[in-house]
Amino acid sequence: METIQPNDVLAKAESLRNNLSTGFRDEIVKSLYSEAEKIAKRAVKTSSDKKYDFDQKVDRLVTSPIFGLPIMLILLGIVIWLTVSGANVASEAIANLLFALGDIGRNFFNQIGAPWWLTGFLWDGVYLGLAWVISVMLPPMAIFFPAFTFLEDLGYLPRVAFNLDWMFKKSGAHGKQSLTMAMGFGCNAAGVVATRIIDSPRERLIAILTNNFVPCNGRFPTLIMLATVFVASAFPAAITSFIAAGTVVAVVLIGVVFTFLMSWLLSKTVLKGEASAFTLELPPYRKPNFGRILYTSIIDRTIFVLWRAMQTAAPAGAIIWLLANIPYGDVNLARAIADWLNPFGLLLGLDGVILLAYIIAIPANEIVVPTMMMMYMGAGMMIDGPSSNAAIFDLLVNGNGWTLLTAVNLMLFALLHNPCATTIMTIYKETKSWKWATVSVVITLGTAFLVTFLTASIARLLGWA
Amino acid sequence: MNTTFWVFTIIIGLVAIFIPRVGLLALYKNYRAGQAREQVEDALKHLLDREQQGRHASPESLGGTLDLPRAKTTRLIEDMETQGLVESRGNEIHLTAKGERWALHVVRAHRLWERYLADEARMPLKQIHDEAHKREHSLTEAQLNELDAALGHPTRDPHGDPIPTREGKLNRAEGMPITAWQPDRPARIVHLEDEPALAYQQILAAGLRLGQDIRIIEKTPNRYVLSDGENEYRLAPAVASNIHVAALPESEMLKREAVPLFELSHDQRGEIVTLDEAVQGFTRRRFLDLGLTPGTMIYPELKNFFGDPRAYRVRGTLIALRKDQAAQIWVKPI
Repeated sequence: METIQPNDVLAKAESLRNNLSTGFRDEIVKSLYSEAEKIAKRAVKTSSDKKYDFDQKVDRLVTSPIFGLPIMLILLGIVIWLTVSGANVASEAIANLLFALGDIGRNFFNQIGAPWWLTGFLWDGVYLGLAWVISVMLPPMAIFFPAFTFLEDLGYLPRVAFNLDWMFKKSGAHGKQSLTMAMGFGCNAAGVVATRIIDSPRERLIAILTNNFVPCNGRFPTLIMLATVFVASAFPAAITSFIAAGTVVAVVLIGVVFTFLMSWLLSKTVLKGEASAFTLELPPYRKPNFGRILYTSIIDRTIFVLWRAMQTAAPAGAIIWLLANIPYGDVNLARAIADWLNPFGLLLGLDGVILLAYIIAIPANEIVVPTMMMMYMGAGMMIDGPSSNAAIFDLLVNGNGWTLLTAVNLMLFALLHNPCATTIMTIYKETKSWKWATVSVVITLGTAFLVTFLTASIARLLGWA
Repeated sequence: MNTTFWVFTIIIGLVAIFIPRVGLLALYKNYRAGQAREQVEDALKHLLDREQQGRHASPESLGGTLDLPRAKTTRLIEDMETQGLVESRGNEIHLTAKGERWALHVVRAHRLWERYLADEARMPLKQIHDEAHKREHSLTEAQLNELDAALGHPTRDPHGDPIPTREGKLNRAEGMPITAWQPDRPARIVHLEDEPALAYQQILAAGLRLGQDIRIIEKTPNRYVLSDGENEYRLAPAVASNIHVAALPESEMLKREAVPLFELSHDQRGEIVTLDEAVQGFTRRRFLDLGLTPGTMIYPELKNFFGDPRAYRVRGTLIALRKDQAAQIWVKPI
C-alpha cells in the first residue's frame, strides 16, 4: 500500500496553486463574511432604527459645511479652557505642598549640618526640578487626558479626522494625523506613539516629524504666562482665563498652519510619494464609559508620561542649580552663558536668558518659565516670579528690556522649537532611526529660528520694535 | 615605557586589520566579493534578457549595459566561463544551464522585491525598480522562497512581467491549451500555436484571434464549441489544443457593467462587483477586512464639506474613503 508523505501533499498543493483564479483570496473573505452574516442574523435582533437615525442626525451636524468646523473649534476651546483654568488652581496647591515639603527637607539638612552645596544641590536643584515639573505638568494632564479620552470614547474624534482629511490630503498626509495632533496637546511623546494608527509608513513619518508643532501641556504655562501678562492684562480680571485660553487656541491654530505647511514640504521633498490608501471607520456614537476613561487617561497616559518627565526633570534641576551657583568672574555661570548668547537671542527678537532657558529645558519644557524668572531675578534657584501680573510685566519690560516683540516671538518660539528630550527619544524608538530623530530636531528648530528671525527683522524694519 | 606603548599599539592595529571575519581586511574582502557578485549577477541578467528576446549577447552589448571598459569586460567573461556560467562561441556569449538557473534566481529576486515594495511597503511605482535593484543580490534561495510564500506566490510583478517559479521556470506565454480549460470559465486567448501549420490555418480561418475573450460552451470528444458572446466557433479537439488561453483579469469582465464607487450619488445604493486589479497586497487586505467584498451592499451616507472623502454605509458600519480609494471599488448601481 502506498503511504502519503507530507511532501506529497505539499507537491500537490504546489501543482494545484497554478489553477487558482487570481481572486481566490477575495472569495475566501467573501465566504467568511457571508458565514458571519448568517450567524449574526440568527443571533442579533434589531428592535428599532431610533439609534441609527439619531447617529445619522449627529453625523450630519458635526460634518456639515456650516457647523462642522465651528463645532470642532468650540470643543477644542472648551478642552483647552478646562485644562488651563482648572490646572491653574491645582498647580498652585500642588506647588505649595511640594515646596513646603522641600522647605522641611532643607531645614532638616541645615540642622544636621550638611554642607550648603549638598543641601542646595539636592533640595534647590534636583528636588525643585522634580517638584516644578510635577506641579506644572500633572494637573493639566490630569484634566486634558480625561477630556480627550472622553471625546475619543464618545466616537467624535474619527469625525474630526473625516472633516480635516481633505486638507491633510492636500499636504500629502493622512487624515488620522489630526488625531495624533490632538493627542499631542497632552504630550508630544504620546502623540508620536499615537501615530501607530496610521498604517502607511510615509504618512506616519510625516505625522511623527510634525507632531511637535502642536504645543503640549508642558508648553502651555509659557503661553499662558505671556497671554495673561501681555494680552489679558488689557481685559477685566473676570475673563482672564478665557483670554488666556483664547490666546492659546490662536497659537494652536498657528501651529496647525505650520503642521500643514511642513507636511506639504516634507511630502514634496524627503518623503516624496503619493497619498496612500485612506480608510477610516466612523464608529457609532457610544455612551462613554467613565470608569474606563479614568483608567486609560490617568494610568495609561498621565502617569506614564509623568514618570518619563520626572526621569529627565531631576537631572535638569541639578544642572540649573549648578549653573546658577558656580561663579564665573563676577557673575554666575548661567548669567555668563546668557550674556554670551544675548546677541544671537536679540537677532531672533528674544534674549540670551530665554535661549539659555530653552537649552536647559530640553529635558522638560515645564521649567522654562521658572528658569527664566530665576535668572531675571538673580536668584540661586528656580522661582515663581513676582506674584502679580503687573509686577511680572514690570520685571520683564522695565527690568530686562522686553518689548511686545519679545513676547510675540517667545510665543512663536515656544510653539515651534525642538521637541523635548522625551519626545526625541520616543521618535527614535518609534522609527528605530537616529536619522529621523535628528531630522525632527533640525526642521523644528530651523523653523523656529527662521520664523522668529523674520518677525524680528520685519518688526525692526517697520520700526515697531 | 614608550616602547611598550608602541608595541601595544602595533599589536592592536595588526589585530584590528587581520582578525578573521570582523577585521578591516576581512571586511574589505567581503565588500569586494559583494561587488564582484553584483557584477556577475547583472551580467547574467543581461544575458538572460537577450536570450529571451531571441538575440545573442556579445562582449560589446555586455560592456555597454554594465558600463565596463573592454579589458574588464573580457576579464569578467573569462571569470564567468571558469565558473561554468557562460560559454563563448565566437563573438556570442551563451548562458550555460547553471548560468541560466542563477540568472533566473536574480530575476525572481528582483520581481518579488518589486511586488513587496509595491504591495506591502506601498512605495510609488516609479521608485520600486531602483530599490529592488539594490536588494536583488542579497537573498538566498531559501529566503526568496519565504518571501514568495509571504507574498502569496504572486505570478507577475507590478509591471506585469512574469516572476520565475521556484523551479526556475519563466512562464512566458502563461496559459494552457483550451482543452485543459474548464468549461464556462471565461478565458482570454494568449497564444496561438503555429505548429502544426494546418491547425493554425484552421484557427485563423474560423476567425479566432489573439486577445479575444471566449468561453467553452460545449465540449465533447469530437468537438469544441467556443463563443465570444456574438459568434460561435466549432473546432476539432486536436485543433483546439493549439489555442492557449488564460484567465481574464477577472475584474476586467466585471468592470464592464459597473461604475467606480465614487460615482454613486448621495443615498444611491450599489452592490460591490469587484476590487480593482491594481489594488493588491496591504490595501486589498484592508478593503477586504473592512467588509468591502463583492456582493456587498453599499451607499454613500456622509460627505465631507469639501466633497472628499465620503463615508459609506456598508454592513451597518460607516467607512470613510477618499475618492482615490472609492475609484478602486467597482459597484453596480441598484
